[in-house]
Amino acid sequence: MTQSNHPEGRNRFSLPRRKLLKGAGAMTAAAALNMPIASRVFGKEPHPLAGKKIDMSILGIAGWLPSSLGVKMSPLFNEYVKEKYGYEVEFAFAEAPFSDLFQKAATSLATRSQEYNIIISDSQWIGALAEPGWILQLNDIIAQNQSLQLDWYSQTVVDTYMIYPDGTKNIWGLPQEGDTIALFLRKDMLQDPAEAAAFEKKYGAKLPQTFEDFEDLTMAEFEKVADHFNRPDDQIWGTAMQYSRVYDFVTCYLYPFMFSQGGEVWDAATAQVEGILNSDINAKAMEQMKSWLKYQPPGAVNYGIAEQIDVFTQGKVFSCFQWAAVGLAMITEEMKDKVMVVAPPKHGTGADARRVYTMGGQPWVINAYNDQEKMRVAIDFMNWWYQPETTLEFARRGGNPCDKPTLTRSDFDSINPWNQAYKFMLEPGRSRDFWHHPKYAEMLAVQQEAFTSYMTGQTSDPMQALTYAACQQQQILVDAGSATIDPTRACITANL
Amino acid sequence: MAAVSQSGGSKVASPRKSLFDDRRILVLFLLAPVLCFFIVFNTIPTLWLLGLSFHNFSLTSGMPPEFIGFRNFVQIFYNKNNIWADLSRTFIFVGSAVSIQTALGILLGFLFWGSKNMPGRRIALTMLFTPMVLTPVATGTFWRFIYDPTFGVLNAILRGLGADHPIDFLGDPTFAYWAVVAVDCWMWTPFMTLMTLAALGSVPKAELEAAEVDRLPWWQRVRLVIWHHGKFIIMLGVLLRTIDSFKTLDLIIPMTKGGPGQQTRLVAVELNKQAFESFNMGFSSAYAVLLLLISIAMTSVFIYVLNLRRRKDSAAGGET
Amino acid sequence: MNAESLKRKGYYAVLWLTSLLFFAPVAWIVMSSFKTRNDILAVPPKLIFSPTFDNYLDLLDRNTSFVLQFANSVVLSLSAVVIAVVVSFLAAFCFSRFKPKGTNFLMFILLSIRMLPAPAVILPVYLMYANFGWKDSHIALILFYAMFSIPFSVWILKGFLDGVSVRFDETGLVNGGSWLHVIFRVVLPQLKPGLIAAFIFNMIFVWNEFLFNFIVGGVSTQNIPYALAVGTYSDGGLNWTFIATLTTIYIIPPIVFIYLFQKYLLAGMTFGTVRGEV
Repeated sequence: MTQSNHPEGRNRFSLPRRKLLKGAGAMTAAAALNMPIASRVFGKEPHPLAGKKIDMSILGIAGWLPSSLGVKMSPLFNEYVKEKYGYEVEFAFAEAPFSDLFQKAATSLATRSQEYNIIISDSQWIGALAEPGWILQLNDIIAQNQSLQLDWYSQTVVDTYMIYPDGTKNIWGLPQEGDTIALFLRKDMLQDPAEAAAFEKKYGAKLPQTFEDFEDLTMAEFEKVADHFNRPDDQIWGTAMQYSRVYDFVTCYLYPFMFSQGGEVWDAATAQVEGILNSDINAKAMEQMKSWLKYQPPGAVNYGIAEQIDVFTQGKVFSCFQWAAVGLAMITEEMKDKVMVVAPPKHGTGADARRVYTMGGQPWVINAYNDQEKMRVAIDFMNWWYQPETTLEFARRGGNPCDKPTLTRSDFDSINPWNQAYKFMLEPGRSRDFWHHPKYAEMLAVQQEAFTSYMTGQTSDPMQALTYAACQQQQILVDAGSATIDPTRACITANL
Repeated sequence: MAAVSQSGGSKVASPRKSLFDDRRILVLFLLAPVLCFFIVFNTIPTLWLLGLSFHNFSLTSGMPPEFIGFRNFVQIFYNKNNIWADLSRTFIFVGSAVSIQTALGILLGFLFWGSKNMPGRRIALTMLFTPMVLTPVATGTFWRFIYDPTFGVLNAILRGLGADHPIDFLGDPTFAYWAVVAVDCWMWTPFMTLMTLAALGSVPKAELEAAEVDRLPWWQRVRLVIWHHGKFIIMLGVLLRTIDSFKTLDLIIPMTKGGPGQQTRLVAVELNKQAFESFNMGFSSAYAVLLLLISIAMTSVFIYVLNLRRRKDSAAGGET
Repeated sequence: MNAESLKRKGYYAVLWLTSLLFFAPVAWIVMSSFKTRNDILAVPPKLIFSPTFDNYLDLLDRNTSFVLQFANSVVLSLSAVVIAVVVSFLAAFCFSRFKPKGTNFLMFILLSIRMLPAPAVILPVYLMYANFGWKDSHIALILFYAMFSIPFSVWILKGFLDGVSVRFDETGLVNGGSWLHVIFRVVLPQLKPGLIAAFIFNMIFVWNEFLFNFIVGGVSTQNIPYALAVGTYSDGGLNWTFIATLTTIYIIPPIVFIYLFQKYLLAGMTFGTVRGEV
């Protein structure tokens, strides 16, 4: 085995194959192929792959619209390279659901296979993919390709989709789909004058109507709105969030309660979890999130992305906290004029009220075991993906790009109903990602159990659930050599 | 018996001498394929598993396996996760599911046995057997839909019967576990019915007729005639169901993923999580080795019971 | 109409109702495959609706790998089970007739692979396949499925062979046949119910196998359960029409098998103790 484990990716120079990869980034690849080429950027000389036909394969997330957009848009890439570089590409696609994609990718990459040349990864997996050297570090490639040197909309984008380990300058991914949580509302119900009057009569406050109204709204105020529209007798409920045990669902929806009120989930620098995750703020946050179940349909404790879409599109809920990425599925043809998308409310009261929601979205990552030809195509693909026209086309088809030029276009907000909310949430400080640690999956699995145990009522004390999760995660991080402090004695009895 | 056929084999002066006239070569020829399969796909992986169980090896760390002795095993019982809870949940699952399936399956088997002239019996039986050939991946997903409090047909029926509040079968800790047991029973009761029918089919008609002539009461008939002949097959059905329900996984993943909390976290679910969500290959191997030992112990008991019956039988009946 | 026949009718009605009850969830899936998405999600659930075939057309239209997946399902399960039954038959014959030393132990240890939860089997096999470079290979998958089908087949066939009198062997040998002649021409034809039962039971397993295909298989070996798992979600929502339609299509072959070979299935499970009729 010739791999080392420097997170900085220094190992790239220890492997003959990797040396080739480095070259594949740009002109040196051409030299390796014994093709005279001055610069592919200017396209003056023939492309080293000119006249060839290359088979490429992309692994993406099953049933995830932005992933399938990558698939659906690939014929455009075929045209692009055919015209520009004179080679042909045949794409094959493999998919796996969110919860299984990493499994699919990891089991393939661990065999050093180039079964999947380009992978759409979830942001938190970057560490787990980068650490064993499965994916290509992109710093050199970005340095050599101008079209990859984009001005990203905010540092959040860079932190979430590109960097590992946190705080370094090592880039492993490029944003494929940006994603934040947004609040989807039934505009037709909200803007009914009768409802506004009834609401004002009952709560002595105005029913928020516009995007700007919601910008300043707090959870406490929104609770009234949810309560107002919560009519179980008519089979309509106030809102929907995600509480599901599957993958990261409940985690992503609980974190906003924690982050916004100053809670933390770990100390990224020391990898200390115990004492940080199991804090009073976080316990309070759990209680708050659970209390929201009363405005949600029965069965909401099992809601994930798909279930939310089902209840929202079937008109069972007035509002829905949902990823901006599935906007297209949330707003069906018949609902087209009945839905508005706003920023999710702030937590806390008065001047302290803040909103820090969870980041979603996925980066592109490139298989480090690609041979030269595939690597070349992968890099051409990235260059093409970030062409302004491609990015705009992506947005028009329902995707969420992350680059400043596109997001600051005057017409960006009007491309899709959720764009304004998405852009708002992408502003610095309003959304953040969590652990990119290689032990991500393991820590997540423990935490999902603990959180759902409390949400479903199996564990009655939120602190007990938090302590259990914190102790387990602490042990995982100690075992992995990241954390230095062993779980305390309190952990011996910690259980669900 | 073996001696007879052996002498038979050597007595014959076969005109076409073949390699296989040598008994050892013949035995080898017959066993070679199964042994090859066994060694490549069973022995090697099992040894691999055993070896890994003494190593710290995570697929995602990029580190080569590191020998750590029994630490994985120690971790299983100490603080890493709660194996006792998982095991007891699993045993309750196996116990309740298998006994319900056996009881119901035998009952249905007897009922169908007595309905040889029923119109459309073959179709009715085919319909009854259908649940066990459904793809579990889809079955779990669809049952989640059937159980759904908002859209599900089961709650619609309950509503029709006058229930005020829908029941969240898979989200409510009081119901989730038994909701999963119910689906397992739905899927596998037909299997026990099938085994019962096969067992009843093996009862000699003459003995049944004799029992009828003797006017034996029905329980005597069951005990003396039917159970005597059929118990081997029924026990075998129970054995197979026990082994299989001990490793129930593919129904649970789409339905609850081990939730709510850890309510339906059976050992196979936990193992799947450790192996293919966390990629703790060393730890999961140790876990798997433990499960294998438990399974072997359970199966040995069953086989012992089965063989006991056979031995008694051959002792009583003698060889022909 | 006398009381006796009325009782009989009631008895049959109960049995039919039970069968229908067990079949009801399957019927619900089949019905859903003819519903639109909105009809599937209707509250209260719809029993009466105007059926549509769009889901079937959609499936073939949108899932471009359907043919590949279905072909893989057929090829993988058929070849694996046929190999398993042949190999098991030879071994079972040997165990039954020659009783080599350690027969009982071997028979028992063969079962051990069936005792492990799927992830425990897949884990080392995956690592092994990864090291040997056997991932995403039809042959490697077939051989594994065959291995998984062997234990049960050996058990069924051994039981059955024990029930076939050795007189047949002797007669064959005395008449100048070779052992091969006896095994394949004399004994094999008498094993029909056992072979069919072994075939069907293992077929059910391989036909529906997902996890191994997902982890050790790849793009070229994907089968229908893989497609079902992967296609459960589409564009963020649960793709009910897809699941219902594909499940309905996929369940037809096993149902047909069960209907056609029901007699053998019941007889085959008797492990050679068959004496009466089912």
